[in-house]
This record gives sequence, structure tokens and C-alpha cells, in this order.
Amino acid sequence: MTSTTTTKDLNVAVIVKLEPDFSEGNVSYNADGTLNRAETKSILGPHSAIAANAAFYAKVKYGARVAVGTMGPPIAESALQQAQLLCDADELHLYSDRLFAGADTLATAEVLKAGVSKVEGDGKVDIVFSGHRASDGETGQTGPQTAWKLGYTFLGHVIDYNVDLQSRFVRAKRLISLQGFYDIIEEVEAPLPVFISIDPSYKAFFNSVSQRLAFEKYQKEARSRAENYKQFLKVLNTQQLGIDPKLVGLPGSPTIVYKVERIPKAKASRKSEVIDGANRDQLTRVAANMYEVLGGMVIK
Amino acid sequence: MEHYDVAIIGGGSAGLAALKQLSNLNKQAILIEAGKKAGSKNISGGILYSKKPKHGKTFNVEDVYPEFLQDTPVERRITQYMLHATSRDKVFTMNLTAAHEYQANFGYSVLLNKLNGWFAKQASESAERQGGGIVSGVHVRSLNWQNEKTVIETDEIEPFEAKAVIAADGVNSELAEMTGARAKFTPEQLYQGVKVIVKLPEEIIEQRFGIGPNEGAAHLFAGDVTLNHIGGGFLYTNLDTLSVGAVYHYDSLMERPSEPYTLVNALIKNPLVAEFIKDQVAVKEEIDKNLPKEEQLRTRFAVSKLIKTWNELRDSYHSRAERKKLIESGKYKSEEEIRARLDYVQNELATKYYTKFVTDYVELEYGAKLVPDGKRCAMKKPYYKNILFVGDAAGRGIFIGPRIEGLNVGIDDGVRAANAVARAIDRNNFSTQYMGESYSQSIEESPYTRDMKEIDKDYLKIFLDAAKDVPKDIIGQRYGMVFRLMSSGTLRGLAVGFANILGYDKLLPLVESEDTYVQVPIELAEKTGRQVQATYEPTIPTIAQRIAQLKYDDDRVSHIKVLNPKSEFMKKMVTLCPTLCYSMEGGDVTLQHEACIECGSCAKETEWRHPRGEKGVIYQYG
Amino acid sequence: MMSKYQHLYVVIEHEDGVPVPVSLEMLGEARRLMDGFNKRYSSDEKVVAVVLGHNVRKLCEELIFYGADAVIYADNPELRYRRNLIDTKVISQIARSREVAAKFSDTSEFVKPRYMFFGADSIGRHLSSTVLAELESGLASDINKLVIEDLEIKHEHKTKGQAMKYEKTLEMYRPDFSGFLWTTILCLDNRNPAIEREYHPQACSIIPGVFAPIEPDTSRRGAIVDYVPEFDERDLKVRILDRKIVKSAVDFDSHKAVVSFGKGIKDSPEQNIKQVAELAKEIEAEVGISLPISKKPFPVSEGINSTYMIPDRVIGTSGRKVAPLLYIAVGISGAMQHIAGMKESGFIVAINPDENSPIKDECDIFIRGRMEDVIPLLLEQLRKQRPIIEVKK
Repeated sequence: MTSTTTTKDLNVAVIVKLEPDFSEGNVSYNADGTLNRAETKSILGPHSAIAANAAFYAKVKYGARVAVGTMGPPIAESALQQAQLLCDADELHLYSDRLFAGADTLATAEVLKAGVSKVEGDGKVDIVFSGHRASDGETGQTGPQTAWKLGYTFLGHVIDYNVDLQSRFVRAKRLISLQGFYDIIEEVEAPLPVFISIDPSYKAFFNSVSQRLAFEKYQKEARSRAENYKQFLKVLNTQQLGIDPKLVGLPGSPTIVYKVERIPKAKASRKSEVIDGANRDQLTRVAANMYEVLGGMVIK
Repeated sequence: MEHYDVAIIGGGSAGLAALKQLSNLNKQAILIEAGKKAGSKNISGGILYSKKPKHGKTFNVEDVYPEFLQDTPVERRITQYMLHATSRDKVFTMNLTAAHEYQANFGYSVLLNKLNGWFAKQASESAERQGGGIVSGVHVRSLNWQNEKTVIETDEIEPFEAKAVIAADGVNSELAEMTGARAKFTPEQLYQGVKVIVKLPEEIIEQRFGIGPNEGAAHLFAGDVTLNHIGGGFLYTNLDTLSVGAVYHYDSLMERPSEPYTLVNALIKNPLVAEFIKDQVAVKEEIDKNLPKEEQLRTRFAVSKLIKTWNELRDSYHSRAERKKLIESGKYKSEEEIRARLDYVQNELATKYYTKFVTDYVELEYGAKLVPDGKRCAMKKPYYKNILFVGDAAGRGIFIGPRIEGLNVGIDDGVRAANAVARAIDRNNFSTQYMGESYSQSIEESPYTRDMKEIDKDYLKIFLDAAKDVPKDIIGQRYGMVFRLMSSGTLRGLAVGFANILGYDKLLPLVESEDTYVQVPIELAEKTGRQVQATYEPTIPTIAQRIAQLKYDDDRVSHIKVLNPKSEFMKKMVTLCPTLCYSMEGGDVTLQHEACIECGSCAKETEWRHPRGEKGVIYQYG
Repeated sequence: MMSKYQHLYVVIEHEDGVPVPVSLEMLGEARRLMDGFNKRYSSDEKVVAVVLGHNVRKLCEELIFYGADAVIYADNPELRYRRNLIDTKVISQIARSREVAAKFSDTSEFVKPRYMFFGADSIGRHLSSTVLAELESGLASDINKLVIEDLEIKHEHKTKGQAMKYEKTLEMYRPDFSGFLWTTILCLDNRNPAIEREYHPQACSIIPGVFAPIEPDTSRRGAIVDYVPEFDERDLKVRILDRKIVKSAVDFDSHKAVVSFGKGIKDSPEQNIKQVAELAKEIEAEVGISLPISKKPFPVSEGINSTYMIPDRVIGTSGRKVAPLLYIAVGISGAMQHIAGMKESGFIVAINPDENSPIKDECDIFIRGRMEDVIPLLLEQLRKQRPIIEVKK
């Protein structure tokens, strides 16, 4: 279904992921402490949501056309619906195929890159957005690897961006944290097309009445679209994406998970041990506990 | 700079009505709301009335919003209105339903997050067709006039111009303060209202209060529950919640400060109220600490999930509409099946996890606000240059005995202001003589304004009739002469006429006194009341728990500054702030934290502003 | 027989020639791993540092002292600041260059490195992703434990269900931040005839602060190889317009511990804050405050005031949410809002004279006492017990 509010000026896409909802009341664990995915509610990943917000900025400010894509099983459709609610997407893609199962980031990036090329308009997408990382996998690799396969300039940790539609350049601010040094806010300029990985602290900012009104207008449109999201949805498999099956799923994954061990971490309210602050012996033990806790991640 | 014909500041019921009316008149207007969305910062008692006065006309909600009667974004239509005099476990009840129905088309219990949300949806859709709309998350910082243009500056967006402004920013109106249009309200002019939303499944409410599916009950309380303050408690039935709260004269609270949460607790502890609000609650059992950590955690999450399921299923089971939905969705074949599943889950919890099911009540949201008493502080000329003041911002709340109205007044004001502005746009004349004065005259003509200035003898008669059963000796002692006077029709007319000439303010101290709200009701209850037994002791959340339940988007920039840390007024704020924002450090009153719910109780002696756009408290119910 | 895949390439991060700590940590771990590797397999594979930048010659020497056997550097004004596109291409060129590898090892077969390390920080995480996409191999990120092993693997796809021996496999352990799983990742060749493919280098990005650098040994020597990069005209259009150092005087994220103070300092605020700062210094903790403190309720010197009583240090719903391994709350009663900002910390210790304060239900150890009395004693014990980090051989 073609949208009615597009401009040929700017085309953007967002890649998102459906992730487990870790909040209490929604999450379920197995007897062995591992996540029981079947019983746990799934939601649009929080970082994916921020990426959708970033894309929405492009729609409000530049009238951009927005496509959202995700690789996943059929239930991942709900991630697309939630994303459409956030960014008034004009087009939704679900890349789904049993062959995709077990994919690591490289194999996933292969699918996503093919998916972007299937966006309406011959896949001429100017900006692709992704979140910083997924809350369950958390590698943060898929975005940059997709960018690389697309041949787009990769800009990570973006906290702000604007586009010059005439010169076809994007100007972005990036927040770079250097361990042991300081933080740097870098202003960088790059020709389109680019791939933007959005920093978790990104907040879209609309600074005039007219932009705010446009925001409301598109939000409203987003709500009505999301109710009928299936009309905007294209489901694509390996063949439709035109990918070599050897490059996707487990076959196309260099890495595998070899083993998994459980680390129980009680996040519950605590029952504390009360000790007398004047008792040297007890303080000795506390000091030892502290070092033990701090040393937890250091190879002794 | 962008410019717009009309800027309405504040997205409460009044502002939204103004926006809708302007759109109805094909005028472009924008509404600026500080909250994340309109409705998120509003809280009301509350009941929304539609009136049909004998003289004059009020602009009712269904006049402004044609879809209102169809969509009914409201809770229940109030069909019972009772006043209870309380003393310990004794209660004397008077049926005041006639007072509630007096000159009214209807009165619906409402929750403002839903109601104003609906108003906003309607108003913004209409406004957008005129090239305007609602801008939320923006807080107006200042307003000034430059070369015939009114420039509005905000914390969030670039300044813009407007030709006319409607100030609908509530009892703590910053527009009033920054322009000097009126002085800040003082305690004698205000009431402080506090309330909690209590959860109670839909059909249990209907059984408990003896009402049908679309009916509602309003219960008012006076007597010992007031803790000797002037005002009273209330309990309104919503669809599947109850609004339980109290409203007291702010100067009466200043005289003998009680914490707002203590006042609402006094109400909850009253046996009649306790019995009204009780429900079945699941209580988690302590998890065995000897189990391995993983098992403890798994158990904790499993119990949480099951209890959540139990609650959801139970709420659905007790709701006609929800039961239907569940069966239609195919998840369950019949109501019996739902009941069976509910019992099964309850059984699982009880046997596997030792969860207990006890009688108690469940609070969902705590809130408080100040309400202006129109009799004492309604702006005589509610305008300043090209700014028209409406609703609470203009001090126009109605308080007459048990009759408390603000929402309908705000809507009426909003429409009148919109009409005045529309005329001004047509003539391109926004001067005070043309726009301000015409609005002011329209306000004068409003029946609500009349109610703020005169006693309505027919309304008075209703009370006298309702008080028929009250033993004469109790009333007679104090009001004997007056009572005899008022009971006779002709004399009553004369007396009221005389009283109205004398002026409301002379009479008020007599009527709005501790006698009326505290002593007389207590005596009534003691001497003639029936006994009510509470079957359990409510577990009342601490103020800390109530605050923790509220949702905030905290602003790093402070919005309150204490001007005089040693003043008597500020010392009282330590008690009177509904969220304990103040504490004593040494001899000074300091701001402890800013879990502020923006009621404005401390506004008089602080540099008080609303938080910046989107920041501050976010009410779920309102 | 020489392998096509040799050596461990470590991509170094630095700021104008000063190495970022994780760079030296990676070299340390690389050194330890390859010493073990060479001994076990009787080989002579190298730890090779890769440096991109401008005026970085001096850094190269330093890297040898910290464990590199060789350093490959590309020095060019265009490489002064990190730009993902250009860096990825240059590093990939270097990784594929047999000519360069020949400069520090005997090799006629060299195709790509065997292993590669990157730092898991703002730059390294993305750079590692794109480099490995370019080199078409596998990457595991946020690693905090590494072991090289010969493994017998039976995998539906990779080995078509047969048991096969994979030698010299890098086991990469990563903690799952949802709090439950420690996952081991392997990057393995596909030996299934249907999908045969070699995947090298086996690469990972390493969590800063986990491993320890070796003691710099100024007697170490190694080859320092200058690489002349090739740039694509188009790539140079990506320009850095401005770089502003943001004075985040407060950095909770990179500290394993946080010490916060609240109104309990009131009896002698200046003195108490200094004590708290000392405690923080001892365990390398960042200092946080409760919200009331940011309103500056107590008189202190200007220095203390501007350093500590600032909004950036507030922990709670009005400020930062932190979850360090160790959280010490000094003189904090435990207001709801503060608790919400730190309750996910690993281990919580509270110091407070009032056993009835709410924080008692939110901590693991409650030290009852005034901070004036407790902190000096605690400091004494901490100093006595300061651990020495031993290296696993």
C-alpha cells in the first residue's frame, strides 16, 4: 500500500528487533534459571524503539518516507506494528524463513542488507537507522555489519542529526566515551547514504510550533496505520530476497554458541546483615567482602 | 517567528473546550500544554455536570462536543447522592439525590486522564482542520507585548506570536502571575483536595452500592472524619475504581495543619467507608531463604506472574464487557469456564505458593490539588489586555455546601472566551474594550457566576426538605430561628433576598463553619445514627508507598524556590505538602525532594512554577 | 607446515598517541595467551599491534614494551581521528597483507590473522563489527575470559553431525547482561561439504577493565612496520567538523564501585565529604550524592561545593541510575527515589547510625555507626587488605 504523505526527497529505513520483556510480571524463568522465552512476553526492543523515534524525526522534519524491517519468526510482526506506532512507517518488512534460524550477526546482516534493497523505490534508502544494541543478544554488531554490506558510511553513537536535502549531506553529533579519558561530542558530516546507529540517550527534539503540530499529525496517522498494520506488511523469504542460502542462518554464521552457564543474580530487595561499626573484626570481613565483589571480574 | 491567531495556554477541560469551540467557529487556534499529553496533569474530585438552569444558559459539555453522549468517555452516571454524618462507628445518612439532580441534565463521575484525553482527541482533530492543534510537552515561560504583537516564550520551542491568548492554566496560573493580572490566591480563597483511586471490580461495585450497570453513586461525608476541618469527604463510583478523597478549606488547614494523607486516611478508616472499598487481595508469602538463589528468583517471578493473571482474570470476570470479549476471542467458551480458570489459578497460588487471599483494599493512585472558591476569589474582570482567563485560572470554582463544581464551569467559561475571541478575530479588534469587556459581560451572564454571588432559594429548599428527619433540637440550638424562617416558603424568599443583599461573604462564616461541617454532623451521628461495623482493618499505604506508585519524569532543573525559609507559612508546608517535599533543617524549611504533584499548596511563599515541558508528575487516572 | 592464518592482531586505540587503557589490557592478555599457545604448539606466532593515527611512532615503541612482538602502524593526518569507514578499510588492508606479515615473520602462506582483538568501547565495538564484516569472519563482543583449546566439536551444520577436531580454537566467554547467562562463543570453519567455508580471524572485542596489562619491559624488542594506506576519494568526504571534550567530571559507568553520601554528613560537612572522597579513592570508586545534597544544604568550601554538590552526581530517579558491583551509601537514609537509582547494584553496603532507616532493607551489609567513626576504621582495613592481582600461567 502506498502512502499519501511521502516526499521523494528523503527515504529512511529502520531495522528493529523483537525482544523479551524482562520486567517483573512479564518475564518467566525456567527451573534452571534460564529465560523461558515461550512464557515471556515479547516487545519491540527498547533500543529499536529509540531508532524508530530517530526515523520519526526525519518524517516530521523532512517529510521522509519511512520503512521498517525486522528479521524474525512470524510473531516478530508485533515489533513492526509497535515500531509503526512510533514512526508512522509507510512500509513494513518481515524477513522470515526457517533457513534464517540460528543466524549470528554476520548472517543476519546479510538478510537485512538484502531487505533494504527491497524497499520501495528500488531500495534507494538514504539513511538506515538501528538501535545501539539488542537487550537480549547485546552484541551491537548487526547494525555496523549491515552498514558495511550495504556499503553505507557508518556513524555510531549518534545523539543528534540533521539533513541538508540540497547538498545530500547529513550532519550528526556523536557521543564517544573513551575509557579512562573523557567523553567527546563529535560533529561529523557525511554524504548520503549513511547508516546511523542511535545512541540510547538520543531524544528527538522538535523546536517550533509547526514541527510540533506536524508531530501530532503524523502520530495520529501512525496510530490509525498501526491498527491496520498488515496492509503495510511484506513478508519476504530467502528466495524473495534473492540471497544465497549458504550465507544465511546457521550455515552462514561464522560463530556458534558452544556452551552456556548460568550466573544467578538476585535483584530482589535485600535482607541485610547488621554489623557494629566499631567492631574491627567485622569491618575486616566487610573490607574483604568488598574486594571480593570488586575482584569478581578480574582474572586472579 | 511563527504566528497564530489564538494561543490557549493549558490543556485542562476549560482550555480544551475553548479550542473545540473555536474550531466549531472555524477559527485557527493552538493549545499549549505542559504535560506530555493533555490530561496527564489533571486531577478532579470528580463529577462532570451538565446543567439546565431556570434562568440563563450554560454551555454544557454535550453542546461543545457533539459526540460526547455517544462516546461517553466517562465513568458512571450518578443516580444516588448521599450525605453521611459520621462519629466513630455511627453514621446518619441523608439522601440528597434531589440536590444532585437540581437543574441538572446529568452528572457523570469522571477520571480526567481519560476524559481530558478524549476532549483533546476531539479538539485537536477539529483544530487541525483549521490549521491549528495541540502542542504538548511545552511550558510557557514568559509572555510580552512587542509592537502590537504578543510574543510567547517557552522552555522548549522557539517563541511565536499570537493575537489573542486564553489563559486556562489552572489555579496556579503562571500567566496570571507573570502579567500581574491578579494576585496569587490566598488560603482563605482556596480549598485543598486530596484523593486516592481505589480498585474495585465493576460488578462488585454495582452489588456493593446497589446500582445498575450504567449507574453510579456519590457519597459525601462530614463529621469526625474531617478531623475538625471545614469541608468534607467524598466517595464516587467509577467504572471499576472508586475516587475517595476529601476537600477542606485551606485556611482551616492552615489554622490546624493536618497532612493531606492523614485526612484521606481518616476517611478510609471510617467503618462505612472501609466497608465500601473492601475487596479480595492476594498476599504473597515470604520465599524460603534456604532455597538456592535461582529457585528463589524463579519462584518470585512465577508468583508475580500468577498473581497478575489472577487479578486480570478476576477483573475481567467481574466486568460484563470483558467477559463478553474473552468469550468472543475464543479463549473461553462460557462464563463458567472463566470462573473455573479463576478458581484454578487461585488454588494454584494458595496450595503451591502459600499465597493468602485476604480482605483489604487496593490503592492505585494518590493525588492532590488546590481548588479556588469562586465565592471568594472569582476574578471580577477576568481578562488582562488580550488575555482572557477561564476556569480555575480565573478563580471560578463553585462551592456551595456539598455542591462542588469546576469542570462544567471551566467548559462554560471556555466557550464564552472562544466566542469572544472569534468575534474579535472577525473584527480584528483584540482590545480590552472590545474583546475583554465582551467576554467579561458574557461571564456575568453565566448562571455559574450568579451562583458564586447569590444564594439560590430553591436549592436551599432541597436541603431543608432533606433535613426533615433531623431532630429539631440538634439543629434548633444553633439555627433555630433561621430554620423556622427558612421553612416557610414566603419567608424564605424574603430571607434569601435579604441575605443576598447583605452579601454572601457576610453569611459565609456562619454557614461554612466548624459547626456545620464538624460539630453538628457529629452530634447527629451520635444521637440518631446507626452503627456500622467494619469487618476488617484496611492496610493503608504509607505516604512513601503512595509517592512511589506515582509516575514522574523528573526535571533536573528545579521548579520551586523557597523564598523565606523561616516563615510561619513555610513551617506549615512541612505538614501540608501532600508529598512531604519540605522538611525542617535547623531552623530553616528546606526542599527535601521534588516528588511534587504540582498542587500549588506552597505557591504563596515560594517562587513556584510548573515544571518544564513533559516533566513532573504524570497521572494515570486523574 | 605454515598455516594460512597466523598471529594475533590487536587493534590499538589511542588518543593522540596516548593509549586507552583497554589497549594495554588487551596486549597483556594477548601476550599471556600467545606465550601459552607457542609453548603448547611449538610455534612462533606473534602478538601484533595495529595502530592507526598521526604521529604515532613513539606509541609503537611503547606497545612493544607492553607485550607486542611487532607493531604495524599507518601514520597519516587523515587517520588522526577515528572514522569508521576509512579505519575499517585500512585495518582490513593491513590484515590481508602478506607483504606486511613477511616483515616480522617467516611466511609465504599468510592470508589473514588467526585471531584479532578489539576493545569493547564506543569505537572498538563498531570498528570490530565492520572489520569482521569486511574480512567475512566471526566476531564475539564484550568478552571477559579467553581460552585457547583443541576442541572436539559435533555440530549439525558445521560438521554435518560428525565429531571433528578443531585445533587452536579461541573460546570466547561473554557475560549476558540480562544477568543470567555466561555464554561461550566459538568462530569455526564450516567443514560440512555442502557449505564449506573458512572463517578466520577468530575475533572478539574485550571489555575494558577486565584483564591486566603486563609490567612494561623496556628490554623487549620487535619489528615496527610502517604501512602506507590507500584511501578511497569518496571516503574522505566524511569529515569531522568539530570535537568537543565534554567535561564529564563524573563517570559512573567506568567505575566498578560507587560511594554516595547524603545528609548524614551534616555534623561536619566539609570534613565528612573529604573522608568519603578518600574512601572512594581507596577502592577506585566514583562519588555520588543524594538529591538533597545537590541543593547545597550545608556550607562548604567552594572547591568541595563545585566538585561534589552538583546535579551530575545525583543518584536516584532525579539523576543517574547506577548498578556498580559495589555500592556504598554513607549517611543516606534511603529515600525511595535514591533507592530506585541504585538498587540494582551488585553488593550494597550502608553506613548509618540509625538502624531504622529504610536503607536497611535495601542493602546487603548495614554498618551501624556514624560515618565519622566508621570510615576511618573501614579505610584502615581496606588498606591492609588491598589485593595483589596474580597472573594465571
